[in-house]
Amino acid sequence: MKKRAVQTDNSDFQIPHPAFQILPWIIPLGFILLWFVVSETGMIPTYLMPHPAEIGKTGYNYILGNPGEGAYAGRFLNDAGASLMRVATGFALAVILGLPLGIMSGRISLVHRLMGTTINALRAVPGISWLPLAMIWFGIGIKTTVFLVALAAFFPIYLNAAAGARQINPLLLQAGAMMGVKRLRGTFAILLPGAMPHIMTGLRLGLGISWAYLVLGELTGVPNGLGALIMDARMLGRIDIIVVGIIIIAVIGRLGDQLLTTSLRACFKSARRMP
Amino acid sequence: MKTKLTAISRLKPESRLKLEPRETILEIRNLRKVFNINNAFVTVLDEVNFSVKSGEMICIFGRSGCGKSTLLNILGGFITPSSGDILLNGKGVSKPGPDRCVVFQEDTLFPWLTVKENIAFGLKGRTTEKKAFGEEVERFLSLVGLSEFRDYLPREISGGMKQRVALARVLILKPKVLLMDEPFASLDAQTREEMQNLLLSLWGKLSHTVLFVTHDVNEAITLADRILVMGKDPGRIREEICVDLPRPRSRDSSAFLRFSRKLHEALRD
Repeated sequence: MKKRAVQTDNSDFQIPHPAFQILPWIIPLGFILLWFVVSETGMIPTYLMPHPAEIGKTGYNYILGNPGEGAYAGRFLNDAGASLMRVATGFALAVILGLPLGIMSGRISLVHRLMGTTINALRAVPGISWLPLAMIWFGIGIKTTVFLVALAAFFPIYLNAAAGARQINPLLLQAGAMMGVKRLRGTFAILLPGAMPHIMTGLRLGLGISWAYLVLGELTGVPNGLGALIMDARMLGRIDIIVVGIIIIAVIGRLGDQLLTTSLRACFKSARRMP
Repeated sequence: MKTKLTAISRLKPESRLKLEPRETILEIRNLRKVFNINNAFVTVLDEVNFSVKSGEMICIFGRSGCGKSTLLNILGGFITPSSGDILLNGKGVSKPGPDRCVVFQEDTLFPWLTVKENIAFGLKGRTTEKKAFGEEVERFLSLVGLSEFRDYLPREISGGMKQRVALARVLILKPKVLLMDEPFASLDAQTREEMQNLLLSLWGKLSHTVLFVTHDVNEAITLADRILVMGKDPGRIREEICVDLPRPRSRDSSAFLRFSRKLHEALRD
């Protein structure tokens, strides 16, 4: 891309000042330091919060250990793979349904009128209430988890897509119409790019909540997955494994969000160029 | 088409005045628009009749609220008239289309596209030949003097430059009639004058038909072949003033001032 002579509004963020690079890590590092101090001084007993070094050992063993060396050794790839698969499937379903429906509801008042009440009623039902029903419908296993993830991710994707489509400057659509743009091209060349900032927010929220419902879905006795790991460890009183599971979900969640934003920016001009 | 354009472009803007305007391109018959505002019927336009010849530069002049923007929006196809006909080359038109392009007062560029991509937007999917397409976009970039700014985004350029892009992106579509809705109203005085000169020079090169809505006396006299003065309540065309001054028109000349007085008077009663 050509370098621009004019400074943009967010030019501050493009200058890679060293202090700016450290900024995101200050809170996590500070937290670890604090944790280290309280563990070292014995302010919090280890049965409530294990020492960071012990967590490090458990985590290493879980991720890189050989299966058979311990209860949880080397299970990481299997668990993470299974969980990622479930999140990806559920999230994809939510996008396939939520995005088109949301865009339509934002532009077509009939669709909005038809869907609004139902969506808002269903949205009020907490995910955990669906769990018993989902288990009856889909049994124990991947289907229940995928159902819960898709259900949870659908609402933020739908609502934000609708809001994005609704707030588009009508003059942009008029400009398209007078330049002879037909409906199909108008949707992809004006409507979607115009709604992109909202769509992106919806997708990010949806992906984030996918992880929450993944753990919920995996509580139901599936043999593998990060949620299953945590539940299993709870039953055996392995608090170190629980903490490892939480940290891994946090890291994967953060990376997933990064991957989502980066790929949207790579694919769409509107995601790249919007302030 | 192209040969015709280049032939005309060799003529200087001033000499175009001597070209007798050709056949009637746009005809408005008995146009009427009634809005329903809070259950009260308000007649915004009534008995609007006029016709425009090919290549003419017409200004629709009037005070704010006289319905001139409504008229332009009806011509653009964005508002349906209550009754009356709009005939373009003898055929009735209603929906918006690239034969009647609009330059809006507000910024309506696509903010996620660069200057060049905005200009190319309407042409995309029309021209199949890639080389001709690229050349055409380049030509219009340089016609409005924005070649250097091709990769800038709308938010990175000034208001005047944005209106140049808005002008280029519709002129590239070769509209039969160019509709302009107070396009320079939000620009500073100097930029506005620059834009008026640019419009006149483009008009000299491309010889398109222009319908220009304005409430600015000087703008109307600087640009127009004919000024249609609109009156209020209900909006109708009250007077037609032919500006038979050679271009470029100096604002200090006595003839210019005479027209200016005439327009001010027309506004008063």
